This record gives sequence, structure tokens and C-alpha cells, in this order.
Amino acid sequence: MRGDHVHPARWYEVLMGDVVLELVGLGKRFGDRVAVANLDLTVRRGEIFGLLGPNGAGKTTTISTTCGVIPPSSGTARIAGHDIRTDTFAAKRAIGLVPQDLALYDDLTARQNLAFFGQLYGLGGAELHARIEWALGIAQLTDRSDEIIKKFSGGMKRRLNLVVGLIHQPTLLILDEPTVGVDPQSRRHIFDAIRALQGGGMTVVYTSHYIEEVEELCDRVAIMDAGRIVTSGTLAELTHAHGIALEVELEGDEVAIAGAVAAVAGFDATRDGRTLRFAQRDTWAPVVSAIEASGARIKRLGSQRADLETVFLALTGRGLRDA
Amino acid sequence: MFGPTIVKEIQLLRRDPRALVRLLALPVAFIALFGMVFRADADKHAPATPVAAWIDPQAAAGARIVAALDGSLRFHVVPVATADQVRRQVANETFEVGLIIPGNFAPTPGGAKAELVIDTGKPRPELEALRGPMTAIVTRAVLGGDAVDVITTVAPPGLRTPVAQASSFQMTVPGNAVLFGFFIALTCALSFAEERRTGTWRRLLAAPVAPWRLLAAKLIPYVALGTIQVGLLFVIGAVGFGMRVGGSIPALAVLTVGVATCATSLGLLLAAVSTTEKQISSLGSVAILIMGLVGGCMLPRAIMGPTLQQIGLFVPHGWALDGYNTLLVRDGAGFADVAKPIAAVYGFALAFMVAGLRRFRFDQ
Repeated sequence: MRGDHVHPARWYEVLMGDVVLELVGLGKRFGDRVAVANLDLTVRRGEIFGLLGPNGAGKTTTISTTCGVIPPSSGTARIAGHDIRTDTFAAKRAIGLVPQDLALYDDLTARQNLAFFGQLYGLGGAELHARIEWALGIAQLTDRSDEIIKKFSGGMKRRLNLVVGLIHQPTLLILDEPTVGVDPQSRRHIFDAIRALQGGGMTVVYTSHYIEEVEELCDRVAIMDAGRIVTSGTLAELTHAHGIALEVELEGDEVAIAGAVAAVAGFDATRDGRTLRFAQRDTWAPVVSAIEASGARIKRLGSQRADLETVFLALTGRGLRDA
Repeated sequence: MFGPTIVKEIQLLRRDPRALVRLLALPVAFIALFGMVFRADADKHAPATPVAAWIDPQAAAGARIVAALDGSLRFHVVPVATADQVRRQVANETFEVGLIIPGNFAPTPGGAKAELVIDTGKPRPELEALRGPMTAIVTRAVLGGDAVDVITTVAPPGLRTPVAQASSFQMTVPGNAVLFGFFIALTCALSFAEERRTGTWRRLLAAPVAPWRLLAAKLIPYVALGTIQVGLLFVIGAVGFGMRVGGSIPALAVLTVGVATCATSLGLLLAAVSTTEKQISSLGSVAILIMGLVGGCMLPRAIMGPTLQQIGLFVPHGWALDGYNTLLVRDGAGFADVAKPIAAVYGFALAFMVAGLRRFRFDQ
């Protein structure tokens, strides 16, 4: 890591060799469209970092620019201290990309796929052979290694897709929706493999649409929308900061409900029909008082578990994303 | 980087039986079929054409005419009872051609003429193929005396003589080799589309390899495969169909590498201008077939009209076939004789490559 490029707030992490991925003002435009806007992000060694976002949020573009698949329009990404713009090959060698697609050659065997991608990373001879056996073991495909993978199930292909990204034993593993379309057993196996890799010191960036997966796996999470990171932190930090803790269902006519909405304007509430949601649980007493003072009647008062999905929907909205 | 990618591409091609059929089995079948259609040596083996003939016994030269026709090996006289019967039998297609020699036949100005009975609606080349020899044989028979050749065939200085025992396969082997050799463009372009569809291209771009090396490593196997394909078709043509090679083998090899490079460059261009496999298949097939047709792969350019003959030189196929024809047909033809076709084929390859590289998007 070169000192003149280090973000001032992270100098101590860099000095300790703790930062594996650092995005510094990373941006990507396609013509007039901003796909990724000025991202700053740090992932530390040994972390499993979740990247969440609705369709079109910019997750895949972020990954593509980080991996050097497409050049960034602004800023840069540093992987294990190597700048993807200026020290491209070293940065790429430090990354293992597991794309969302089953990016494999269907007409080759599992072993041939691993050999080919291993050779792209400069592996050869006994070392390549050993790595292939290691990867096949992780994917539990040793006994099927010489079969054309066209005949493999979706789960088997997913497992192979994962270990192809591991064949060169990267410092940073980037997983883009790695469990799409797999059976529960393969999903569990992939999770176990990721945890084992983390245990061995590997850093993982994990993107997924499945919020429960991110909740289960990740130490820290960033939520992206419209090319920006709208929030990031540990799960506890996010649910505390953004979790919806109090729900009040009202009854009465529209005038009464409008009066109640006006009365709680200072309490960070969102309205969904006749239901008001409040981010802070400890505000229930003044909220109830304000509603009653407005003349509206409370039909139901309850609290909602503040999970990552709640946070996600609160920050990115409930509208459908087709992009 | 080059080695693993080349090995990978060959492994993939080996497991694609449709590609092997397209690259080898189909062209061999077409060579055999076209070879039979265009048999240049047909005259040597074709039976004499039977001629329904009525010759008036009073006709002075009648016996000489019959003897001349029978002796020509080109025609065989079948006597018919009446002149009307000759006409009827040609009309009902019992005979293709008939000959009537009236009693007052006289080979003098104003004298009665012999009558060649034939469907005048036949295609002109076919009509002339019967009328020309018939007229010459009858005229010589009527004139009498020893036949004297008044025309001799001489090649101009500087033009190499043709190989002996040339057959129609001299034409159909290179024609189909070039036509099907260019289908490598389709195979190559489809492989790019498949890499993009499956996501392997993205994975390749994430590897520590320069994009130009990725591209080169993908293209080189197709140049090699195209060269092997066309080369094998020539070997099959020579061994299986008796095609002869009169000219330089190294020149033939250089031209063949040029054809394979040109086809691969066209594949890159197709991959660059198309976004889906369907687009590549439809656009590529049509383009390759049209180029093959105007370039003379299916019908010799020599029998096309002058405009189409010139248009044939706007596609690499035309130049490639000109080069192959020289090398296969002309004894001792070498690099100097095919310098222009070789330069043209490599020029097309360069043009396709430059156009393809300008349009090719690595990140899509």
C-alpha cells in the first residue's frame, strides 16, 4: 500500500496490514447513466462482508470494477494493497471471483475446468495438480472430477463455480449471488465452505438477494441503492439505527388519521395506509399521547422485529425493481 | 496463457460433433456431389448420343455422313423409316436429336440443306454442344477427302500448361474447401457469444491476463483449425477423388493459412457486430453463403456474367479460388503466380480484423 493513496481515516488499519479491500471514491458511468457513484468502503482481513441491494443497485458493476473486468470512471479499488488501475495483475491475482452465472465450460470435465482457470493464474505442474485435488475436495466432487459437467446438477455446478474462484487461493474471495438456484444441501455446503475459508484467514465479499443468507453469514453489511452505499455496519448497528420497532394501526376517518400523522411528525414515522411505523421503540409513550391528543383512535399497538430485511426495505423502499 | 486456451478450445471443439460435421463431413459430401455434377472429363466416358436419322437413299453423301457420325464416337446413328418419324421421335423425346438428309441435299449455295431436328428451347450451351460437333462432322463428311485440322490449340507464352488428367475435382475441392472453410467464422463467433452468455468471458477478464492476449489466444486455435480443415479437404480431394496438385505445395499452404486467418477474422467481426447467438447464426450463415456464391465456390465464376465475375473479387472467396485454381491446375505454378491472390486474401483478413477490433467490446 502506498502511503500517498491511503485514506487518512484508515492509516492505522493499513499499517497493521488489516485492510484487504479498499474502495476509494470508486465510480462508474455508462454514458450519462451513473451506475456506481463515489463509493468508499473498507473490508478487513478475515471478514465476511455482505453487499446487499435491489436489482440495478450497482452491486455487479461495483464487483466488475473492483475485479478489473471493467475500468472505473473515477476512484480506484485496492486489493491487498495493489491498485487495480496501476498494479492490475497483482490486484487481480489477489482476487477470486465467483460470478453469479455458472461461468464454467459445460463440455469440459470438472478437472479440466479447474486446470484451465488455474493455469490462467500461473499455476502448473505438481502445484496445479495439488490445488485441483484440494478444490475438488472442498466441492466434494473428487469422485466426479473426470465427468463432463454438462451432466452435473445445479448444486454440483454451483460448488464447482465456487472452487474455480478458489483455485489460486486468493486473498479476497468475491461471491456474486453464489447460491442462486441451488438445493438446500448445496447451499449449506457452500456456507460451510465459506466459513471454513474465513477460518483460514480468507476475506470474503458476499452479495446476495437472500437477506437471511447475509444475516447468517456476514460480519458486516453494506446496503447499496442507485449506485450508492446507503448504509453500512454490523447487523446490530444497522438494526439499531434503522430498525422499525413500533407499529401503530389507527382507526377512524381520513381526517382523524391525517391529524394523527401531523401530531407525530417529529417522531421519524413512515405511513403505510392506516399503519404508522416508528424507528425507535422507546418513543412509544409520547407517540401514543400525541395520537390520542389528536383525537384519532388506536386500533392496534405492536412492535416489529427489527431484522435486516426490515432495514433493507426501509432504506430501499418497497417498489419493484426490474432493472 | 496461449497454451491452456488453445488446449481448452480444442477440447471444446472435440466435444462438439455438430462442428465437426459442419467442418468436414458436409464439405466432403458436397465435393462428391458437385464433382459428379461438373464432370469435366464426362466426354471421355459418356456414351455416344443416339441420333434418329432418315437419309434419303438418293442423297449423294448419305453413306459418308453416317460413317462420319458413327466414327466420331460422339454420335451414334439410329436409322428411322421416315423424316416425319424423326421429327415425331424428337418431339416425344425418344431421341434428343435427329438428322434428315433429303434426296436433293446439296452442299452448295441455294442447295437443299440437311435438317438438324432438336428442341431449340434447350439452354444455349447444351444446344451448341450438339449443334457444333454435328455441323462440323457433317460438313467434313460432305466435303470429302482427308480431314485436315485447321486449328491448333496453343497456350500463350508465360502461361503455365495445365496438369494432365485434370478432373472436375480440381474445381469442386477448392470451391467447397473455401466455402466450408469460412464456416470457421461462425464457429469462432459463436464461441465468443457462448463465453459471454455463460459468464466465462467475465471470469477470463478477471484473470491476470492482458485482454489482447485473451483475444489472441481465442483466435489462434481457429486459425489452426481452419488450416487443418482446408488442408484435410485437399488431402481427401487428392486421395479420395483423384484431384491433382500441379503447383507449389508451400504456396498452397500459405494461401490456406491466409484463408483460415481471413475466416477467423470474419468470425471476430461477426462476434463484434452481433450481440446474441441467434444474430450470429443468421447474419453469419447468410453472409458466408452469399460470399461463397459470388466468390465462385458453388458455381465457377467463369460461367457467371462479367458483372458478377467482377463482384466476386470483392469477397475473399473469389481471390482464394483464383489462387487455388492456379496452384491446382497449372503445372509448376509457384508463389509468383499466386502473389496477387495471396496478398488479397491476407488483405481481407487484415481488414476484417481491424474492423472487428474497432467494434469488439471486451466488457459486454
